[in-house]
Amino acid sequence: MEKLNRNLPPQFKTIEHVDIPKSKQEVLSNEIPVHIISGGSQDVLKIEMIFNAGIWHQKLPLIAGTCNSMLNEGTEKYSAAQLAEKFDFYGAYIAYNNSQHDASVCLYTLNKYLDETLDLLEEIIKRPTFPKKEFKTILSNKKQSYLVNREKTNALAKEKFNSLIYGEKHPYANIFKASAFDEVQLDDIKTYYKDRYTSDNCRIIVSGKMDNSILSKIEDRFGASAWSTKSSNIEIKHEFQISNEKKVFVLKKDAVQSSIRIGRPLFNKTHPDFAGIMLLNLVLGGYFGSRLMQNIREDKGYTYGINSLLLSHLKSGHFAIVTEVGKDVCKAAISEIYKEISRLRVELVPEEELILVKNFFSGEILRSFDSPFALSESLRGNLPFGFDNSYYEKFLQEIKGTSSQKIMELANTYFKEEDLYEVVVGENKA
Amino acid sequence: MIEFDKFTLDNGLKVIVHKDASTPLAAVNILYNIGAKDENPEQTGFAHLFEHLMFGGSVNIPNYDEPLQQVGGDNNAWTNNDVTNYYLTVPKENLETGFWLESDRMLSLAFTQKSLDVQKAVVIEEFKQHYFNQPYGDVWLHLRPLAYKKHPYQWSTIGKCIEHIENAQLQDVKDFFFHHYAPNNAVLVVSGNIETDEVKRLAEKWFGPIERREIAARNLPVEPKQTEFRSLHLERDVPYDAIYMAFHMGSRIDQDYYKVDLLSDILSNGQSSRIFQTLIKEKNLFSTIDAYLTGDFEPGLFVISGKLTEGVSMEDAEKAIWEVLDEVSATKADEYELQKVKNKIESSLVFSEISFLNKAMNIAQHEITGQAEDINLEVEKYNKVSTDDLQKMAQKILIKENCSTLYYHAKKQ
Repeated sequence: MEKLNRNLPPQFKTIEHVDIPKSKQEVLSNEIPVHIISGGSQDVLKIEMIFNAGIWHQKLPLIAGTCNSMLNEGTEKYSAAQLAEKFDFYGAYIAYNNSQHDASVCLYTLNKYLDETLDLLEEIIKRPTFPKKEFKTILSNKKQSYLVNREKTNALAKEKFNSLIYGEKHPYANIFKASAFDEVQLDDIKTYYKDRYTSDNCRIIVSGKMDNSILSKIEDRFGASAWSTKSSNIEIKHEFQISNEKKVFVLKKDAVQSSIRIGRPLFNKTHPDFAGIMLLNLVLGGYFGSRLMQNIREDKGYTYGINSLLLSHLKSGHFAIVTEVGKDVCKAAISEIYKEISRLRVELVPEEELILVKNFFSGEILRSFDSPFALSESLRGNLPFGFDNSYYEKFLQEIKGTSSQKIMELANTYFKEEDLYEVVVGENKA
Repeated sequence: MIEFDKFTLDNGLKVIVHKDASTPLAAVNILYNIGAKDENPEQTGFAHLFEHLMFGGSVNIPNYDEPLQQVGGDNNAWTNNDVTNYYLTVPKENLETGFWLESDRMLSLAFTQKSLDVQKAVVIEEFKQHYFNQPYGDVWLHLRPLAYKKHPYQWSTIGKCIEHIENAQLQDVKDFFFHHYAPNNAVLVVSGNIETDEVKRLAEKWFGPIERREIAARNLPVEPKQTEFRSLHLERDVPYDAIYMAFHMGSRIDQDYYKVDLLSDILSNGQSSRIFQTLIKEKNLFSTIDAYLTGDFEPGLFVISGKLTEGVSMEDAEKAIWEVLDEVSATKADEYELQKVKNKIESSLVFSEISFLNKAMNIAQHEITGQAEDINLEVEKYNKVSTDDLQKMAQKILIKENCSTLYYHAKKQ
């Protein structure tokens, strides 16, 4: 019997590097790129068709999202009800994703029904009819969920924060009033579809259990010829309008907690300082052991959770600390947040803490690439920046090479208190 | 087919190993057979508060999270009315760290006053965040006591009220631990890229020395059969009216569960389902509406919850729901419709087996309610259900005298 010493941790291995499974790139005859990620233990596939058709390209609010979510509301061959019936019968799922630059339609299917579900996917991508009745129902339901969402302090805080750092009219803030739902015109949706959902504005990511026949099945439906008219692709210009006002309070009557957002506009993952900032963000609020979580939750008990995040947009990015705290401790929580940021500017992060964070992050990389679907999700986020998933192998090495000294320099460059924006939504001003 | 090996340690701890070579990671999942239903009615919310305290340091390890993060691991836990589940994932090379941490907190906790005080405050903020600072957040605090008059499912996992959390004492915490947390009251599932022999060695080494404990006998009050319709009206500052209907049904372990589950799928799984097509698409009476089962280990609830479209009256909305329910009782569904929901179930099971962690949790749940082997019989059990079964279940369950309805009115501005 081994002698058991419960006070001492067992030996462990540090992950020095990760091998992220590579994606393969093919091209259909009409030049649609297809990225293939093969793997997984189950006979399932995810086929995501991505179009350059996100919020950025719309002339009025809600056009991009409504267009995207209406694709399966009726096609030349099938009504909305018939489409729903068929997808359900094959146990397939259709998901829609409408983001700042891209919009996508994603099919999750069992391999054994691929022929049938791909035919349906072809219908909704190439021949949607945008029926008026479904249009009205969808907008009315979207409006209701928008208004329910606006009862949440964190939704209001997010909206106000984004408007400060990007500008109210910028697509990265994507702000609109409830009345916008009544102003959307069906013709604008149809035009948007014609301009944007075309074969020369598309890429495909296929992930899951691959075999030799799959690519040719996709080629048959989407690749043999160009479909839809050539997209105009006229780029709309959007200027950032960063606010001069740095601290904003928004009243939400009877809120028992206040939502806090503190952060700033920053850069995206193409910036040379991005790895360093990621490490800085992790230390501050990027995992359960972070300083904000340990101080504000685990020591003071002011909140159920606090974290900080970095968001990369194609043309910008931001850093934000996000939390909801009891209304009576809001002021104290904000003061502790600034205290933690200030510590990063004046004290070196101790070596043990830095090693722990780097080790934890290595594990996170393994966890986030654990299935073909997860790899596909990450690839979708990377492609617009011109990277594939091998980006993270290099990124991990950069993180590992970042010193405490560098973190302090970055904190002094980017986390100056006077550069930070602060939004509080709640019953009383902090 | 999910394959696994199974063995039991001398102290009663059941251990199950599922190998999934497609991942570089391993999961350690421990399910304790203790949930909110085991609480004293005057001290509700305790099982969940206790889950928080399990991260406050154990007898030999002052900090649970740090050593795990050090080896690239991550963890979390959840509590419901039936059970408390703890899980972690680590790079497979560092599996032993998971055993070291989990076994020490099964052995005993640090039980510090500081940890209790802080976690009480954290849980109170969690309570506020999820139940009072969200539109419609307090629904279950009212729907449960409406549906259950005797059974402890009448309170939510978070607790009946904030005062119960505030009143928790350190001595209660210690008593709770030694009455419910024990090797003989838990299931340990290890999944991922690991070998059974290695898991066996680690389980014997770390969990083997923990002694068996006397587990408080579970003697839950039985919920009397509901015999008349119940209702409650609430008025809140929300944008739209909403309606919540709860019907009593059997437990997750009953054979009837599979019939009722498919019945709820016909009504509400997917956009082609009856409720979605009729009440949202055709009649535009609801902006969202769902039917689902609570899936509890004791007799649970069949729930319908919907938000009304602006301008629709509560009476019209309710009437329309009953029309759909009466239809499914009066007329047998056709074979095609039943086949459709069976296909959906099969597909959702296949998709759920992608994640090695998900598999570990599912195996553990099956073991604690019966035997892990049952996990591979699910599809077969669903396939046996007939259209006749669906109709019978509808006639038995979806009736007025078995229903508790919460009318959630938007306050007039």
